[in-house]
Formats: sequence, C-alpha cells, structure tokens
Amino acid sequence: MRPGRSLAACALIGAAVMAAIDEIVFHQILRWHHFVDRSTSAAGLVSDGLLHTAELLALVAGFVWYADLHRRRALSPAHARAGLLLGLGGFQLFDGLVDHKLLRLHQIRYGVDLLPYDLAWNGAGLALLATGTVLAFRARRLRDRRGRP
Amino acid sequence: MSAAPLHHTGVGAAELLLAAAAIAAALLYAWGADRVRRRGDAWPWHRDAAFTVGAGALAYASTAALPGGPFTAHMGRHLVVGMAAPLLLVLARPLTLAFRALRPGRARRALLRLAHSRPAAWLAFPPAAALLDVGGLWLLYRTPLLAAVQHHPTAHTLLQLHVLAAGVLFAFAVCGLDPVRRRWGPVWRGATLLAAGAAHAVLAKSLYTAPPPGAAVTAADLQTGAQLMYYGGDLVELALAAVIALQWYAATGRDRARRHRRAALPTAPGPGRSPA
Repeated sequence: MRPGRSLAACALIGAAVMAAIDEIVFHQILRWHHFVDRSTSAAGLVSDGLLHTAELLALVAGFVWYADLHRRRALSPAHARAGLLLGLGGFQLFDGLVDHKLLRLHQIRYGVDLLPYDLAWNGAGLALLATGTVLAFRARRLRDRRGRP
Repeated sequence: MSAAPLHHTGVGAAELLLAAAAIAAALLYAWGADRVRRRGDAWPWHRDAAFTVGAGALAYASTAALPGGPFTAHMGRHLVVGMAAPLLLVLARPLTLAFRALRPGRARRALLRLAHSRPAAWLAFPPAAALLDVGGLWLLYRTPLLAAVQHHPTAHTLLQLHVLAAGVLFAFAVCGLDPVRRRWGPVWRGATLLAAGAAHAVLAKSLYTAPPPGAAVTAADLQTGAQLMYYGGDLVELALAAVIALQWYAATGRDRARRHRRAALPTAPGPGRSPA
C-alpha cells in the first residue's frame, strides 16, 4: 500500500477536475467569467497560462499515476478519496483567492454584488478542503488500527 | 484603422500542391506499410489510420473554406495544419516505417545518416523544437508579419509550410516515438510541453484583447478565433500529454515485469526486489 501516493495522485486528479468544471461551467455554459480581463497584468496572464497547462497535464498524470497504483495493488481507497476532496477544494480556494483576488484575472460574475458569490465560491472550496482533511485523518487512523502492512 | 483587412485567402496553386503532397505521402505510407506486412512484420493498423486521417485533414484544411470569420477560419486552419495533423502524422511513426520498408541501399543509408546527424539531434531536442514552433507563432501574431504576408502569396505559402514543419517537429520531439540520435525522457518532454502549452495559452488570451499588429479584425471574429486557439490547443496538448503518460505507464510495467522475472529465478543476478 502506498497511502501517500494514493492521496497525491487523487489530489492531482481532483485539482484538475475542479479546474475543468470551472472552465466548462463558469466560462462556457454560464458565461459568468470573462475569458480574460483587459486590465489583467502580463504576469497575471503568464501565471494563468502556466497554471492552465499544468492542470491539463495534471489530469493526465494523475490518471496514469492512479492506474499504476491500481495495477500494483498499492492503492489505498480511503486515502484516495481524501486526496480527491483535498484537490477539489484546494484548487477552488486557490482559484478564489489567488486568481480572482490577488491576480485579478477575472471575477466570478460581473455587474452584481460580488460578496455573496465570493463567499459561496470560497466557502464551498473551504468545505471540500475541510472534508478532505477529516477523511485524510480518518484514513490514517484506520491504517494505524489495522497495523501497517 | 489604417490596417489591411484580414481576408479569406483563396485556394491557389500552392495550396493545391500541398494537398496533393499530403495525399501522395499517405499513399506512400500505405505502400510502405503493405510492404512491411507482406514480409510478415507486424505493423498496427491504427498507425495507417492515424497517418491517413492526418494527411486527409491537412489536405482538407489547406484547400477548403473553413467556417467563421476570416480570423477564426485562419486560426482553424492553423490548428489543423500546425497541431492536429502533425500529431496524427507523428503517431504513425513514419520514420520507423521508412527504415523498415526501405531495402538496404543508398536511400536507406542516407536517411539513417540524416536521422542520426547532429543537426537533426539539435532540432529534435524538445525545448529547441518548442522554441521554433511556439516562438514562430509569437513572431507571426505579435509582429506585423501576418499583415505583411497577406499580400505575398509566396511568403504566405512559406509561412504555411513553416507552421506545418514546426508543428511536425514539435510533435516529433515531444512524442519521442521515432528513432533519432538521442531520446529524451518523459520529464524533459513533459516540461517542454508545459512551457509550450503555457506560451500558447498566453498568446491566445492576448489575441482575445489585441489583434495582430497591422491586421484589421472585427472584435467578434478576434474573440472567437482566440478562444478556438486556446481550447483547440488544449485538446492537442491533452493528446500529447496522454502519449507521454502512456509511454511511462507501459515502460514502468515492462520494468516491473522484468524485475519480477529476475526475482523469480533461483539464482537471480539482480537485486530481486519484491513489489511495493
């Protein structure tokens, strides 16, 4: 069993999946987000491009890593679940704080009072992150109780 | 704006020639694959399919009128000629097929010398290939180059050829499927893909707000074209990443199987590690 790697592989998948949800739901379907804001700095654009490409590669790398752990029978399902939630929530909170607020790449929605949207977005990210943390601790306790293989 | 309006470039002799060359290459590939199979060697059919679809897409995109405004159509053409078709052609391992199909002789020796030459090795160094490919795009869209070649058919054709050649080189270097002087590991190729993908995404987003200098493009056309570049690039990058990742998966699987076989031998020469 490789609990650390199970968690890390699924965290990669989780972060990339949340990035894809953000891109598909908020950019393309709802069209709330702007593709890019005119006021965005060059540094903001570059970090956005790097992060976006890294998400694509993380999705592929995460799945192949997961498949490799599965093939070796080294996957710890409890840690994998915790990792997935940590990745989902971690990306959402990062996007809400760094992309929206620090780099100001785009906002969640335009022409409305942003506060409830920001609270909902970051709150949901925090909730996912907290659930993932609880699951990670539970997974570790479970493993300790069963005895390390 | 005193800029030259970007217009649909018509189909000239050069475009027809490129399409004919793509079809001829597909026929040549099919002939080579047939020769190898007749000899009794295995040559998977999906490679024939990849090459045929790639060459067909190249022929179609260089001659057909693509949908959308002038800039969107131009971007769609570049996506096919510079990214999608090259990936398909490279996945078919044309160089490997050439080495297998050619009989020992002058042509085969010359090709081998070329593939193993130092300049070819420099070109196939992943960061160099990425620089030629994405660097060329930055020059095209962030200098007055695009507006300048609009009215020079020869320059326009040379540009198309550069886009195709640089795209093939990049896919060739990142996929690392064909035998060349030196093979680069997944880390080099993955890091190159990350950097090139980021540069491509930044360029696409910058085009969304600012057209190429000297080219008059309507805002709607520009924005559709920029988004097509961004998301179309994503699809090809995902495919390239999948190629690297699956190679890694297969290679680690082979390594592990080899270690297991060695460990199972009674007098194993290797370290004989058990699975994790």
